[in-house]
Amino acid sequence: MQIYLPIAELSMNLFFLVGIGGAVGFLSGLFGVGGGFLLTPLLIFSGVPAPVAVASVTGQVVAASTSGALSHYRRGGIDLHLALYLVLAGILGAMGGVATFDALRALGQLDFFISLGFLVILGFVGTLMMIEAVRTLLKRRSGVVVRERLPNQHNWIHGLPLRVRFKKSRLYISVLPVLAIGIAIGFIGSLLGIGGGFILVPALVYLLRVPGNVVIGTSLLQLVAMMSATTILHAVQSQSVDILLAFSLMVGGTVGAQFGASAGQYLRGDQLRFLLAALILAVAIRFGVSLVLPPDDIFSTAAVSAGGLL
Amino acid sequence: MKARAVLFGALALLLLGLGPARAERLVSTLSNQDISITSSFDGEQLTLFGNVEPETGSGQKYVEGPFHVVIVISGPHGSRVARRKSNVLGIWLNTQQVMFEDFPSYFHVLSSDKLADIANPALLAAEGILPAAQTRHSAQADWWTSMVFGRELVRLMTEKGLFGIEESAVGFLSNTAYKASIALPSNVPNGTFVARTYLFKNGEIVGKRSEGFLVRKTGFERFLGSASRDYPLLYGLTCVLLALFTGWLGGVVFKR
Repeated sequence: MQIYLPIAELSMNLFFLVGIGGAVGFLSGLFGVGGGFLLTPLLIFSGVPAPVAVASVTGQVVAASTSGALSHYRRGGIDLHLALYLVLAGILGAMGGVATFDALRALGQLDFFISLGFLVILGFVGTLMMIEAVRTLLKRRSGVVVRERLPNQHNWIHGLPLRVRFKKSRLYISVLPVLAIGIAIGFIGSLLGIGGGFILVPALVYLLRVPGNVVIGTSLLQLVAMMSATTILHAVQSQSVDILLAFSLMVGGTVGAQFGASAGQYLRGDQLRFLLAALILAVAIRFGVSLVLPPDDIFSTAAVSAGGLL
Repeated sequence: MKARAVLFGALALLLLGLGPARAERLVSTLSNQDISITSSFDGEQLTLFGNVEPETGSGQKYVEGPFHVVIVISGPHGSRVARRKSNVLGIWLNTQQVMFEDFPSYFHVLSSDKLADIANPALLAAEGILPAAQTRHSAQADWWTSMVFGRELVRLMTEKGLFGIEESAVGFLSNTAYKASIALPSNVPNGTFVARTYLFKNGEIVGKRSEGFLVRKTGFERFLGSASRDYPLLYGLTCVLLALFTGWLGGVVFKR
């Protein structure tokens, strides 16, 4: 069944859209990530213009993270004070990201920077996760009892000025790294149409030493708030949010995520991390190959509308 | 005296310009003047009909062929860029772009025979009948670059199904009546279209007609499209609320 997408101005198969939303939702439920890093590339590869794909997936990430954030909130797994700092910085970063997005689109370099951004960020995070996961798996195999490293050692970040007490996280740290992380996630998220949960969680754990019981909830709340702001920014500035596309993806994604979450209970944490790392690296390699291999067609074209280039 | 000479001259020119009285008249119509895009829009078939008749008042009872018909369908004009990638330090990226202004977003030529057999290329080009002619005057670059990029742009538009030449799409039902049909693709641009019909006889244009039709979103699709342009803040907020609601509902339904 074809559905006409009014902003993308093309018609696509509704079942295909709900289907990829569901498949990505399943994986996001399985691994506990937003799934934007898979959905945006999939849409771009299936013919949706990159600006529309990025802006619409932003809306889908909000839906994918809401139910998780709510359940963590009920369980008290959110440090609201920390989240507030992250969200405010994140919105600032998103403003910069959306402005950069428009400038690159006018220059005709948006697709290139999206590919490069995915390659660098996914490649970096994927490699780190892969090394960590393989090391844990090997140790387990050789019979060594693996103890989760407790993030209580201090590092240089804890020596910075402007310290603030975050009661729930039992932290007394400088706000500078918190704001820097928030801005970076906001910028990357709005530029690439990803929530950035898979970058935010490691950053909170390894850089700020946020304890495990609040890290997921806080990061989900930050995602919901920041991606909501980004959706509105994209709608106002580039007018490329396709509400029908986003809604089709949301419906598939919300349902898929529930099945993914139940399937995730049958896998161990290190196995999940290994699979997620492999998936992230695969997407990074796909982008890397597309940058290096000679393209099928060295020419491309785009219409110039009143709102900018498409 | 001088004035009279000028008058005679003008009269002579007028008579020369008229030449032998034009004997043919073209009547034509479209199957659909308002093509609406709904949620299930997946392209649309457009049919054009017409007939060649003796000019009213010419006293002729019938017209003599053989006739050829060429129909040019062009979509709303706008600016468009063509870009070229090149290899910089092992990475492929866009390095050059040429802007084409006032460029049609849709351009199809339908004819009753091979264009080369209907008229000579110079006449076709002068009338702006060929797709390639569309890039000539609109490029914002030097002659050579605009020629290279223009040719590639026409090729890209052809691959998208937005440009094309169909040399047997016009069929004659009798000596004088013709019918042409074209499938508008699902990615057809929105806006005002013009269908120009040319009647050829012995390589000369003997009649012209022009009709407009509209391609536009209707109902919910139009509402969404205009809301995203006119009330972007409200549109964005609605999108966020929809996302929050869907996410919340998913959590409730599946008791996560």
